[in-house]
Order: sequence, then structure tokens, then C-alpha cells
Amino acid sequence: MARPTAGKTAALDAPGSASSTKKATTMANTSVIRLEQVGKVFEQKKQRFQALKQIDLTVESSEFVVIAGPSGSGKTTLLNLIGLLDQPSSGKLFFNGRDLSQCSSTELAQLRRDQIGFVFQAYNLMPVLTALENTEMVMEFRGMAADKRRAAARKTLTALGLGELMDRYPDQLSGGQQQRVAVARAVAGEPMLVIADEPTANLDSRTAESLMDLMSQLNREHGITFIFSSHDPRVISRAKRVISLCDGSIVAPVSQAVEFSHAV
Amino acid sequence: MKLERKLAMRNLLRNRQRSLLTSIMIVATVSLMILFQGLSDGGHRAMVDIGIKMGLGHVLVYQQGYNDDPSLEHLLVDAADTGQQLQQSVPELTHMVRRLHLNGLIQAGANGVPITLAGVDPGLEVQVSRIADRKSMMAGQTLAELPRERSGNGLPGIVIGEQLARNLEVGLGDRVTVSVKPKGSSDLSREAFLVTGIFKTGMQELDAFWAELDIADAQRLARLGQEVSVLALYLDDVEKVGPVAARLASQLPAGKYEVLRWDQVAPELHSAVMLDAAGMYLLMVIVFVVVAAAILNTILISVMKRTREFGVMLALGASPALVVRVVFWEALFLALFCIALGGALGYAGHYHFATEGLNFREVFGTTLEAGGVLLPDRFFSFIYPGKLAFSLLFVLLLTLLVTIYPAIRASRLAPVEATRHG
Repeated sequence: MARPTAGKTAALDAPGSASSTKKATTMANTSVIRLEQVGKVFEQKKQRFQALKQIDLTVESSEFVVIAGPSGSGKTTLLNLIGLLDQPSSGKLFFNGRDLSQCSSTELAQLRRDQIGFVFQAYNLMPVLTALENTEMVMEFRGMAADKRRAAARKTLTALGLGELMDRYPDQLSGGQQQRVAVARAVAGEPMLVIADEPTANLDSRTAESLMDLMSQLNREHGITFIFSSHDPRVISRAKRVISLCDGSIVAPVSQAVEFSHAV
Repeated sequence: MKLERKLAMRNLLRNRQRSLLTSIMIVATVSLMILFQGLSDGGHRAMVDIGIKMGLGHVLVYQQGYNDDPSLEHLLVDAADTGQQLQQSVPELTHMVRRLHLNGLIQAGANGVPITLAGVDPGLEVQVSRIADRKSMMAGQTLAELPRERSGNGLPGIVIGEQLARNLEVGLGDRVTVSVKPKGSSDLSREAFLVTGIFKTGMQELDAFWAELDIADAQRLARLGQEVSVLALYLDDVEKVGPVAARLASQLPAGKYEVLRWDQVAPELHSAVMLDAAGMYLLMVIVFVVVAAAILNTILISVMKRTREFGVMLALGASPALVVRVVFWEALFLALFCIALGGALGYAGHYHFATEGLNFREVFGTTLEAGGVLLPDRFFSFIYPGKLAFSLLFVLLLTLLVTIYPAIRASRLAPVEATRHG
């Protein structure tokens, strides 16, 4: 699959460096995700629940998007579809221009492995792997050579301020540090898209701010497309675009290009 | 180390208590399996060895037709030449003896018992017979211990079983009369003997119906020349019996000789060994089933407790095959460790009983009899390397086999649900 982002190397350069800024400016605006009339229905114990209704949505390359809405509005369901973790009950889902309706679960897993990074609300780091090994993991899934993936993981962790903590296990790190490792794991392999499900929900406000700074910087300087779900106003205020969901539908026109109010 | 092996090894170390409990179970099973297998096979070898040393042999060469009609009409007439030929053509041979078996009647006073008389070479028999080498002698002297010059009354010696002595109401030094039907005559040949020894083997058919005398006395009693009933061959290893018997059967002139293995001549002893071995196998199967269930339970719980971890791996794009490999490596590491440790412990136990022996009477307060053979009080553990390797491999395969279900279950987790688990 052709990748719309050009000029990427094996790992992230330190935020703010000349090379990273140059990369971001050369990104072409191409649709990463497109949903056409997507619906999602869950059936449990003979009860039918429409979680998403007729969603039309396009996310372009290098966007920084927040899916906002109250609990039960369908944010996580939408993120699961965009992250190719689940498949729609109706409608069509395109990833990088490719219709995924005919894709097997193996193909979807390969797309996730090669093109998408995930940041979970509960971090979900492997408890038996160090920060460095957790960061390497997805690249190892891809079959990347050990020296290359190790170098990329080290570079990313250093860039995210975890250079001194690489050999620590998750239970030796604070919540904020764990979430930074999760971000490192998501971005070290230079994915096209990073999905983050309420990434700040378990963090105190200062750590949450710092994490948002980090992710918006990665978006700006490396051109990585970020899609979050959140109902935290501090996160929503950092988005370039906010998609509001209510009862499974997009309720407000998609707001475009909310400029950053925070300097990074 | 590759990711799947790293995850597997560290997960085992992370859940120390669970790994330890499972390890103890597998280690105990493997070590006890080796110990019991060694004692069982050692016991069987002792049974066979004793049986073979009670008037049998590893391989027996008869005149053709003797086993269908064990009469004086089917004796080996050229035993000396045949014996010489066998000495040269069987490198596995350690000893060879000739025996003459006669059916006869032994009498003392008003008591008479039909018996089998075994005419033996006392000097040679010492090497291969528990009766001749005193191990089963209760009282008196063996034939080999008798002075060459006969005692004052000039009677030849005879050694009889303990039960037979009781039935005849005789003891050492008493006179008995033996009658046989000689070859080619309808008259009985009768001769008096002196009871010089009494043996007890624990085998009813020997203790009550068997007597041994010098082969020259037996030949004279039956009015024979140098004819014998059988040439009994003893080999350096009981495991070589089959190949040697097959080789001899093809080497010796067809239609003249009959070559039989010990298990063909004493099928009741062979059946007893097989039956005991089958019981052992059945016990092993039960133990294996219990262990398999326990391992399955342990690995299944381990997988279920890590549902979220496997879900995260799958969400991040790990292939189901990789998840399967993680679970299998975990089981393999556990099994290899336990087999190595259990093997070492089991072998140490086996080594003790292989060198010191197991005194069955001392431990269990009773003797052990199977197939009419009374086991010696002390017998030694024995391990067949191939059988041991098969058993250890079986434990390994069993562990991997019961891992299939948990591994597949882990690989088929739905990432969306699994990442929310726990």
C-alpha cells in the first residue's frame, strides 16, 4: 500500500528539529480514513442496539482530530471502526483509499500493524517487557531487523523524554510515563495514523497537558494523523477539528481547523 | 531472544506461584514415572532371570518334535557336536548346558509322587541354576557339592523340592526310589537314591514335582547313551534372545532341530510379566490423564488471566500465529524444565535402586510372586533407554497437546472485547 507521507525515516527525530519540521511541511493532504453511511449495530440477548447511524466522515492526512461526545455516544465504537479493530454493520469504510469491506481479519491485522498506532486509555503496556521492548514490539511484529527497531525505539523514547527510563518495566513507571511509553509504541514505527481512546482519562491535569503537547507536536512536526476520543474539554480545545457525536450520530457540522491555542 | 520466547519465559517467571505449582506436579509425575518404570522393568527382568535359572534357558534347542511329544523318542543324539557348533556360532553365548528330562515316579515308603526328573551337569549347572548355585537350597548339598566318591551305602544323590520332601515325608539322608520307563522297553527301570539336598524356589511345579540328579545317573536310569532332551543356551543379554533364536533357527539344519525362546517354553511366566507391565501402563495412563487435565487447567487459567495482553497484541497487529507461538513456547519451556528436573530426580532414584536394590520384603513385609515365580527379596531397578526417551517425549507431547486449545482460544480473541477485559 502506498503511503501518502513522504520522507519518513525509521524513527522520529526529536520534536522541533529541522528535519522533523521539514517532513511535516512536505505532507500531502490525502484521505486517510473515509466512512460512507457507516452504521454499527450490536445484538445481545435478542436486543438490538444501534451504536452508530449513517456516519459520513473523512479524515485527511496530518489531521489532529478529536471525536467528542458524552459517554455512550458511540465514540469508542467509531474509533474501533477507524482503527480497523471492528467492522461496520452497514456502509463503507476506506483506509488510504482502499475499500475494507472485502478485507479478511488477517489483512486488517496487517494494516493495523503496518499503518496504525494505538494509544489506549489504560496504557495496555506488556507488563513483562521494558519500556524499550514495549516500544519495539510492533516493529518486531512487522519483522523489522533487531538493530533497526532497537535504534528506532531508543530514538523515539529519547525524543519523548524517556531516555533514562528505557530499561524500566511498566510497574516501575508513573501513569504519565507509562502513557508516554504507549505513545512511543504507537509512533515509533512511523504509522500513517494514531488512534488514541481517551488517552488522558487516567492522568492528572498536568500530565494530561504534557501528553497533549507531545502528541500535537508529533502531529505538527512529523505529520502523523491523530484521531482521539475524549470528553475532556482540555483535550477538545487542542484539536484542529472536533467531531461531536450524540446517540451514534454526528450532531454538529464538523468544525475545521481549531487553531492551537497552546504553544508547543 | 525473539519476542514470543521472551514473553513466554518472562510470563512464567512473573507468575512464579502458578509456575511453581505446575512444575511440582509435572516434576513429581516425571520422576515417579521413571522410578516406577525402572522398578517395574527391574522386577520383570528379575522374574525372567529367575524363571530362566529354574531349569529353563534364554534359548533352547530341542530335537524336532520334542515339544509336541516330550518322550525319549525325541532326544538330541548328537548333543556334543551340536553344542560345539553352537559355541562357535553364537558369540552372545555365555553358558550352555545339556539336560535330560524324564517323567517318573518317586517313592518313599508308602508315598509316591509323579515327578519330572532333571538330569544335569552339576559342574556346569552351577553357573546358570538357582538350585545348583545354592540360592534356592534350603538344606543339604547341591549336586556339585557332593563328593565324587559315593558314600558308604553307595547310593547316588538326588536333590528334591521342599514340598515334594513333605509329601514323601522324607528328609536329608533318606532313601527314595525313582522309577522311569526306559527307551524301547515296557518295563520300568528302578533305582534308589539318597536325598542329599532340599530346595525351595517358590514355584509350585518345581517345589512339589521336580527333582535333580546327575545327568549320568539319569541316562543310566533311562538306559540311554549320551542322548539329552535339550541344550539350554544362556546369553549375555536377555534382550538378544529374539535375534539369536531367529538366527539359530535359520542356521541349524531344517527339520532336525527346534529352537525356542524362553517365553515360548514358559508362556505362563511371559504372560505374568506382560500382565504386570500392562497394569503399569494402565497406571501410567491414569497418571498422564490427571496431569494433562492439571496442565490444561493451569495454561487455560494463565491464558484467561492474560486476555487483555493477548487482546492488545492482536489489536496492535500481532498475527494469531504469533499468539499461538507465545502460548506454546510457555508450555514448552515449562515442560522442558520439568522434564529435565523430573528426569534428573527420577534417574537419581533409579540409580539408587539400580545399585542398592529394593528389598521388597523389608519395605512391604511380604514377598512378591508373579507367574509362579517368587521374586528375590532384593531386586534392582532397570531402565530401557528407548522406553525412557519415549516416556519423556510423551510427557512433552502431552503438554504441547493440551496447550492447543488454550493457544487457539487466545489467538481467536476479539481485540475490541479483549482489550477491555479485566
